[in-house]
Amino acid sequence: MAETGTRKQLEADMSDLKRMVLRLGMMSGDALSRAVRALEKGDASPARAVIDGDDELDDLTERIGEGCMAFTARHQPLGQDLRTVVSIIHIATDLERVGDYGVNISRTVLGLEDRPLLKPLIDIPRMAELLLEMLNRALVAFDVGDAETARKLFIMDEQIDALEKQVLRELITMVLERTERLEQAFMLLNVARTLERAGDHLTNIAERVVYMYTGKMARASDYKTPRGRQ
Amino acid sequence: MFAVNSETEANPTPGGATPETSRAQIETRDLHLHYGPVHVLKGISFDISRHTVTALIGPSGCGKSSYIRCLNRMNDFIGGTRVEGQILIEGADICGPGVDVIDLRRRVGMVFQKPNPFPMSVYDNVAYGPRLFGEKNRDVLDGIVRKSLEAAALWDEVRDRLPASGTGLSGGQQQRLCIARAIATAPDILLMDEPTSALDPMSTARIEELVRDLRRSFTVVIVTHNMQQAARIADRTAFFLLGELVEYDDTLKIFTSPDDKRTEDYITGRFG
Repeated sequence: MAETGTRKQLEADMSDLKRMVLRLGMMSGDALSRAVRALEKGDASPARAVIDGDDELDDLTERIGEGCMAFTARHQPLGQDLRTVVSIIHIATDLERVGDYGVNISRTVLGLEDRPLLKPLIDIPRMAELLLEMLNRALVAFDVGDAETARKLFIMDEQIDALEKQVLRELITMVLERTERLEQAFMLLNVARTLERAGDHLTNIAERVVYMYTGKMARASDYKTPRGRQ
Repeated sequence: MFAVNSETEANPTPGGATPETSRAQIETRDLHLHYGPVHVLKGISFDISRHTVTALIGPSGCGKSSYIRCLNRMNDFIGGTRVEGQILIEGADICGPGVDVIDLRRRVGMVFQKPNPFPMSVYDNVAYGPRLFGEKNRDVLDGIVRKSLEAAALWDEVRDRLPASGTGLSGGQQQRLCIARAIATAPDILLMDEPTSALDPMSTARIEELVRDLRRSFTVVIVTHNMQQAARIADRTAFFLLGELVEYDDTLKIFTSPDDKRTEDYITGRFG
């Protein structure tokens, strides 16, 4: 069955939208990882760059939203095309939020004002590394239509949650030893909480990708280890 | 896949009355239709519930219009037609030789692609059917004409010009007049064969709104090439291809995540 000209135009427009989403994903991931590295090294200048770059991220998100509206008006999509364009709107919002978290962490870095950290960071950079791995996989799954890879993100998010708990435990111990550590402990805990939320947004993206390509709603909670068995 | 749409899913009838039986109103069982040597419908089986709107979609020549023409035996007019299988309406087979076809067509009304009012007054267009079935009382006819025109959302526009010719109305009004004419014989089922394809967007919107309202009193089966229209007005949608019923499901399911790849390919414009 030969494809029509309209279909070719639709696919070209869809491909443009997807490229914008991939670019947004890379920018968000970059913001997050640069922010965490700035925290690790106590370096204010990359943190400032992340904050300055946020407008570009917001603009791109807005352009994706407009692109989705134009696409819908032009093609009146149905089936997988409809699922994809609606998913793109959600995915772009999730990605933008991940970028915002990079900005939040960068502000924390600036708030430290060159004071040394309580201790060298271990688990927070691991969380960031794992998040980047999740993000990359999510983007690949989104691009090539791999629902199976997307589902694997659900398990990775569990590791993020476990690391956040680990950070909490460690910080509580440190504060109990010396209460003057409280302020910075709160701050670091906030960073860990922010990264944990970023994991939730990436999980949302994975759920969307599964829906886009299979038409079935996937819930991350269906794949996670039941509580008490971790 | 071809599950019976349960009555609980269907819209309640006015006043909340429940349908008499839980049986589907139109049951099609392994229906085959041949026009001479051409095998037009190939084993169609599905059920249509009372007071629902069912859209039939598919590329030209897929058999959807041929199918609805089976529902009121319009195919009888075409020579060399052969029907096998069964269509049960309210449990009674309508394909057999002993069927009162005139009564069947009263119970199963039809609206066509192009508005085709009779060359007579608005009033006489609507009164035509009831008169044919023996109604002579002027008061009764007045009542039927008014009720039918009201149900077709045309009364307010033509109440002062009932004696004027039906063919003088606008295209959208003519189509609503044809709907009023179909309703006037108090059918149970309304068949519509692309009823808006010859109309402008405003008239189309009025007809679509009307179809949704008509569902309270009638079962509507509508053939449409416009998938957005099907998505807007139909409870269930059937996708026909090359004389086969490929998929029949809730409209939302058909247009967001159909089970069959051929349905997906059709609704996303990969063919057709």
